Amino acid sequence: MIGNVALTLALLSAVFSVIMYFLNYRGYKNTLAPARISFHISAIMVLAASALLLQAIMTHQYQYRYVYNYSGSGLPLGLLMSTFYAGQEGSFMLWTLFSSIVGLVLLDYTSKRGDLEQRVMMVYGICLIYLLVMVNPLLKSPFIYIWSQPDFIDLKHINSAYLTLPALQNFLFSDPQSGKQFIQVGPDLLAILKTNNVPLDKFIIEGRGLNPLLQNFWMQIHPPMLFVGFSMAAVPYSFAMAALIKDEYNEWVKQSLPWLLIGTMVLGFAIMLGGYWAYGVLGWGGYWGWDPVENSSLVPWLIAVASIHTMLIQKKTQDKSNNDKLNAGRFVKTNLILSIFVYILVLYSTFLTRSGILGDASVHSFVDPGMMVYLLLLIFLLFFGLLGLGLVFYRWKYLTENFSYEENILSRELALFTGSFALIASAIIILVGTSAPIFGQTVELKFYNELNLPIAIIIGTLNGLSIILKWKTTGKKELLNGIKVPMIISLLLTAIIFIISSFENFMLVILTFSSIFALVVNAEIVLKILRRKKNHAGAYIAHIGIAVFMVGVAATAGYTKNEQIDLVKGEKVELWGYQMNFAGYQPIEGGKKYVFNVEIKDGDDIKVAAPVMYIAEFNNSLMREPDILVGLTKDLYVAPVSYDEVNPSNGGQTVNMKKGDVIDYRGMKIEFTDFVLPEDMTAMMSGGKFKIGANLKVTYNGKTYNLEPFMENSGGQQEFHTAELQEADLKIDLANMNATGGEITIVLQSPSSENIPIQPPKEVLTVDVSIKPFISLVWLGVVVMIIGFVISASRRSKESLA
Amino acid sequence: MKNKYIFGGTIIIVFLGLMIYLFTQTNVQYESSFVKVMASGKTVKATGSWVKEKGYQLDKRNKTFSFYIQDENGNLMKVVYKGAMPNNFESSTSVVVTGKYSDGIFYATDILTKCPSKYQEQSVQQAGA
Repeated sequence: MIGNVALTLALLSAVFSVIMYFLNYRGYKNTLAPARISFHISAIMVLAASALLLQAIMTHQYQYRYVYNYSGSGLPLGLLMSTFYAGQEGSFMLWTLFSSIVGLVLLDYTSKRGDLEQRVMMVYGICLIYLLVMVNPLLKSPFIYIWSQPDFIDLKHINSAYLTLPALQNFLFSDPQSGKQFIQVGPDLLAILKTNNVPLDKFIIEGRGLNPLLQNFWMQIHPPMLFVGFSMAAVPYSFAMAALIKDEYNEWVKQSLPWLLIGTMVLGFAIMLGGYWAYGVLGWGGYWGWDPVENSSLVPWLIAVASIHTMLIQKKTQDKSNNDKLNAGRFVKTNLILSIFVYILVLYSTFLTRSGILGDASVHSFVDPGMMVYLLLLIFLLFFGLLGLGLVFYRWKYLTENFSYEENILSRELALFTGSFALIASAIIILVGTSAPIFGQTVELKFYNELNLPIAIIIGTLNGLSIILKWKTTGKKELLNGIKVPMIISLLLTAIIFIISSFENFMLVILTFSSIFALVVNAEIVLKILRRKKNHAGAYIAHIGIAVFMVGVAATAGYTKNEQIDLVKGEKVELWGYQMNFAGYQPIEGGKKYVFNVEIKDGDDIKVAAPVMYIAEFNNSLMREPDILVGLTKDLYVAPVSYDEVNPSNGGQTVNMKKGDVIDYRGMKIEFTDFVLPEDMTAMMSGGKFKIGANLKVTYNGKTYNLEPFMENSGGQQEFHTAELQEADLKIDLANMNATGGEITIVLQSPSSENIPIQPPKEVLTVDVSIKPFISLVWLGVVVMIIGFVISASRRSKESLA
Repeated sequence: MKNKYIFGGTIIIVFLGLMIYLFTQTNVQYESSFVKVMASGKTVKATGSWVKEKGYQLDKRNKTFSFYIQDENGNLMKVVYKGAMPNNFESSTSVVVTGKYSDGIFYATDILTKCPSKYQEQSVQQAGA
């Protein structure tokens, strides 16, 4: 209850703060202090509400519906804390929390810079109001009691001490199908609990628990980082709006840049952590599946990266000696629009993933949040979009008259601008593909891969070229000199890779070439710079990272091999030069899960891959966790599919027969007389559905029987049908047919044979094995890129604080 | 013409053109009527529910997983999927299969299962009815 009060107060004081900032900007002198105080109150209330939610989770207060639905007892501390943001309410809460903290830092920063505070905090305050509206007690507050709405709760989650209360008996239900018992909670039950003096926080003693897919290390890191990134996306928006409000475009770039860099770094890192999570733990096979949830956070990131580049140009092209208002630098309009779009796209991402509109399109599961939330998400998206772009439109005439420039064709400005547009093109493509489900459509993954490949090539090339090109203009000779050495080195390297690996996809060869080119150019610069100005190396290091990343992407995309194999315990299987052996399984974690040991022998080296499978109680379904043998040049990825104990066929005899052959089998004569061909031969020719069988004449005890095992084929799918002769205790399986060669392979069995000793069942583990070459470069590239971002952000922060 | 418009504009126009072309080539329609699924012969995403009474078959030899699904009007369709049974299949309320229909069988390349968020509530209601 106190939580809801805190959230309501936070909302009210945030609204008050925005109004006060607005009035102060319009000239009302004594409103600045109230604006600041109420912003602080709002932030303190959000902190308090977050602390209360955390406390409710830590102390298992299952009377809150949110805690009941997403948390549970028996979780280790880290995972228990991460149930804070396991559901929609809590993740909005986390976003609000981070936004409040970022807001406090932003307030401190802007308050030292004239009237910047009023303009920036006014806009940022509105962004905060959006989140506070979402978590208000009428919508998605995590502090709503479970009895506020009728719901059924598993009886085993209820404190059994109170179940004997006679008044409760009317609320008990049982489901004959599953044998489970439930209690109906709701306002009526609450009234009864109160009249019987049942302590409300002791009535429900267990929660539904955390989804097992989320129960791993990355759950504690990935979502918080993502929401820090989301929170920081509102900052460049606020700075851009602040510039538009005052109609002055000089200062904001310098001020906004460090915030943008840090936000982009955190968001990018969060996205790739998600990729690593999907690859290493969830067993989705790869690091990127173009899933709507992944895509919708990638799109704002791409735009943020594009805007970093154009903002840098604007900053660089400002004349430092000239304080004139019109000396704002290049790409003023582009920067305003991109900064606004970063935040709008974060909101759009939220709309796509939170409104339930993508219901059928994603592997992530979505809860339908109800019409009200859907509408509000849409309204806020439109509001912030119209507010931002409307203001740009309002200033458009002034902007075009004063900030239109021409760039030289051989300038770094133009190269960076073109690179940014390549990023924008990629963002648009991903956005369209991801939004398609709104119109009842969806695209195949090919759509993303084929379109982004040429863009990646353009970006790779510009990554190198833009650094060779000088600011303003470059002589043709200079360009040739700069390009010569890296070009030769990368051509040679690509040629070597091409020969060694026999690339089949030509586009991937070009991508490799352009990435290596970028790598060489940037590495050259870094080596030069590191001797002199270390803090200037950030951008180049980040670019080396992205180049390494792209080489890794090209290698894994072009060379991943994948095979599903059955491993019978004790029987070795050869695959790609490895010898694989299923060595059995053991229970782990107190018998909750099973680990399956697959010995993989590569030459003399034996390693054990240990994928895990278990049945999760949470949703009563099979969970599979892959295991990866990480190598420098390739990962061997072993994902479990199924485990079976197969009873071997009891002593069947396999026989090859030609037409007219007669064999003896346990005193029977079996003759293969003829094939039974389909009546309609056209179906067979056209690959349609048809049956083809073998006629077998069996003589037993002087009687003759005709048996006809057959194969049914439809669209390349073959099904074999057995024929049985009960009198003779004979079963004939058709194993193979070769109609043109006039040959069949049959398996003869005695269904009831008791004289044959029973063999122990075979243990069969089916696994999906894949080789992912150079996926290590993908992760290495990301890490290097993040290091570059950190150096860059610290340099720009110092500049902007100066 | 300004250089930046030429460069930026070319990239955007070329890729928008490519995108529209590829979109028409790779788009997959959601279809909840199996009559239409069977008639179209194109790759579609058919949405329906698993027919529990008919069970499912795991074919070890061909590594396929097959089952029947049903649309809103009760039309049945056999689905054959090359691969393993997906997680949560048995507790799913609805299934989205991506693939093509030919000769009486829907060949799926992808299966997505949707699980009820509050299956307990539903099962109780069914039991009460």
